[in-house]
Amino acid sequence: MFRRKTLLVMMCLVIVVGLIAACSSNSSNSSSKNATSSNGSSNTSGQTDAADKIVDIEVWNGNTGFKAVEKGSPMYNFLAELLGVGFISPYVEWNGGTDYLNALNARIAAGEMPNVFLPYNGNEAELARNGAIADLTDLLPLYAPKLWELIPEEVWNIVKANDPTGQGRIYWVPGIKSYEKTTGLIRKDWLDALGLEMPTTQEEYVNVLRAFKEQDPNGNGVADEIPTGGRENARWMDHLFNQYGIAMVEGFPDWDIYDGELTFSAVSSNMKDALAFIAQLYKEGLMDQETFLNDKATWDGKIDSNLVGNYFHWGQGAYEHLEKLELGSGVKAEITVLPVIEAPGYEGKGFITTKQLGNPEWVVSAQQDEEHLIASLKFLNEIADESKWYDIYMGVEGMHHEVVDGKKVKLPEDKSTQQNSVSPFYQWGSMEFQEQMLLDSASEENKWRYDQSVQNMKELQQYVKVIAGDGLPSSIYDGYPDIKNNTLWYEYATKIIIGTYSIDKFDEFVEKWYKSGGNVVTERAREWYAKVK
Amino acid sequence: MNKETSSKGLLSNVRRYWPLYIMSIPGIVFFIIFKFIPMGGTVIAFQEYSVFKGILHSEWVGFKNFEILFRSPDFYRIFTNTLILGFLKITIMFAVPIILALLLNEIRRAVLKKTIQTALYIPHFLSWVIIAGITFEIFSLSGIFNTIREWFGLDPVLLMQQESAFRWIYVFTGIWRDAGWGTIVYLAAISSIDAQIYEAAVIDGASRFKQMVYITLPLLLPTILVLFLLEVGNFMELGFDHVYTLLTPMTYSVGDIIDTYVYRTGIQEARYSYATAIGLFQAIIGFILVMIFNKLSNKVSGEGLW
Repeated sequence: MFRRKTLLVMMCLVIVVGLIAACSSNSSNSSSKNATSSNGSSNTSGQTDAADKIVDIEVWNGNTGFKAVEKGSPMYNFLAELLGVGFISPYVEWNGGTDYLNALNARIAAGEMPNVFLPYNGNEAELARNGAIADLTDLLPLYAPKLWELIPEEVWNIVKANDPTGQGRIYWVPGIKSYEKTTGLIRKDWLDALGLEMPTTQEEYVNVLRAFKEQDPNGNGVADEIPTGGRENARWMDHLFNQYGIAMVEGFPDWDIYDGELTFSAVSSNMKDALAFIAQLYKEGLMDQETFLNDKATWDGKIDSNLVGNYFHWGQGAYEHLEKLELGSGVKAEITVLPVIEAPGYEGKGFITTKQLGNPEWVVSAQQDEEHLIASLKFLNEIADESKWYDIYMGVEGMHHEVVDGKKVKLPEDKSTQQNSVSPFYQWGSMEFQEQMLLDSASEENKWRYDQSVQNMKELQQYVKVIAGDGLPSSIYDGYPDIKNNTLWYEYATKIIIGTYSIDKFDEFVEKWYKSGGNVVTERAREWYAKVK
Repeated sequence: MNKETSSKGLLSNVRRYWPLYIMSIPGIVFFIIFKFIPMGGTVIAFQEYSVFKGILHSEWVGFKNFEILFRSPDFYRIFTNTLILGFLKITIMFAVPIILALLLNEIRRAVLKKTIQTALYIPHFLSWVIIAGITFEIFSLSGIFNTIREWFGLDPVLLMQQESAFRWIYVFTGIWRDAGWGTIVYLAAISSIDAQIYEAAVIDGASRFKQMVYITLPLLLPTILVLFLLEVGNFMELGFDHVYTLLTPMTYSVGDIIDTYVYRTGIQEARYSYATAIGLFQAIIGFILVMIFNKLSNKVSGEGLW
């Protein structure tokens, strides 16, 4: 009887403790929710001067794992002082864009659109047509003149030309691509260790890959080298495709002139040759056999574990891999630009794809009152101020950077403590600015890494070509989501490369693609091209 | 006359057992708010729903969304995949818990029985994301599957990329996760069988195996039937999480089911009308199947859900 009573009391205690734990985390959640849903209310900091009042706006811009920015947090205070706007950004999982898009759509459907946000996957067209996002044409020169001046007039004209309402208005702020960031990259130290020259023809390239695989360049006595590879959906292996003159952006096939007409590169004859070549590489084991199961973290992990000889990514991003390589394997690697390889029959035709019109970066909600609308525009205006970019990049002291000998030095990336931020320098920055930022963040010991990054960034530009599909609006895909999402391409490309399908199945893919809506999309694209160019 | 007595009967019933009725109110309210009222939203399947116009102002398009679905070149494939995976689910994945329960019942030492039971239904609490992650790891180049293959001198095979392996992986992961949990109901039913029947069988000289086949199984049949009918009603619900996390573009042709298709083309593109239309289609098929099987079950065994 006594035992039973104690048991009962203990169990009640457990329940009570459990409730308290659950409810306390709930309340912290709800308090942050309250902060982010303060769309209608503004900061009551006691200041009555309208010009000094910090208005809170909710900004969504894609978060790859950093912490949210809540009202009163270090990042909030930092940006409030720097920009004069209350920057609140909840944590929305990115997951390649799919989770972000779902969360954004849910918010839009609920009528709780964020004040300013990054549109994704072309949803800005629908929003513009429904009047959900603000018409910025007249507002920007008035309330965000710095942004208006920053982006060249030709770019604004393209945005006007791509207006989904057809009235030549501006509904989004585009990014500018003043220089291309992606390139093939190779471990030069491995080439040197094996006494090899930088390859320029395909034959030399394949020999280098074979040497990487067989001659143990990472010197650990185990044949664990991965000569080259990429990520799932055949992405981030563009260096294998661009040898054949294929327009491809970050692994997504794009539109260029083939046989005299604007065509989707995935259905061109160049693509057939490229896939045959890549399938050969896979069969011979010169490509990571797990390529199509790699996500970003896994592939980066392999690169950082001193296993990969050649990959495709940002030239200026080399310093991140160099840091991890040194920390993990103790090796001071040398990552340099892999030239665009000459493939047989396509000599001189290879290139790294680039576009000048960046993706839409910001849209402003039309469903907010005037005070918040002006605050949103002020936000855009202030982040367009180049003089502030360095401070934004450096972030909050103690969280993103520390001060060493009076100079700001960036701290290593730590998603568990660092808050999310904005990156206007990536959206609109020039190469010179980028170089300055990189070199400024270097210290004496790690300058060699940043030097390599800058070198790569500059060297890849010679291989770059602007494709004809630059500026093509995503509205051409209306009604054909599986064409827009390249579902058929992923299936056929991956299966042909791993050998499940023979290369002859490529013709079947082309036929299917056209039949399932590709012909309508192509027609729309060609109409646009005739009109604009 | 009848009507009066029956309504009087209901009222007096309520008055007598009012605590029970009060206790059932939260449940009823829950169902009304979260299950019945939202059903009204299925009308958007017949509209061109726009989040900015709301249900009242979106235009009516009749069966257009269904036409789009049936004309889609992928429809045949996703429908077939859904049927095949559903069939596997209600045959293999349904049978395993029964067999497991019968086997578990034969264990004599109570401690051993409880330990095994607990170990078996722990995986049920893992989310599919975790299980899919484990599965990908097991079948990766450095995973245990390929390591063992190497011991025997075989080449490594990346099973997660193979179309032929997908359905089996679906079945096995499904069994691993849910078979243990499914045994709970069956074991409860078995334990409610009168021990005297077993004693009588032992006197007649029946072996344990014969006891299982002639006593346990037949007496378990009503439970099996009810659960089977419930399973059939969920026929088209293959578990979006389950398939989505295991899917790769290389296995779309065998793994892409109606749910993943809707997610990709409906929800991610914010085409809510289209997604609802497909959901409605699935629900109707499930409903028809339950009706058919219930009638069959009534005819064959006299037992059914209603």
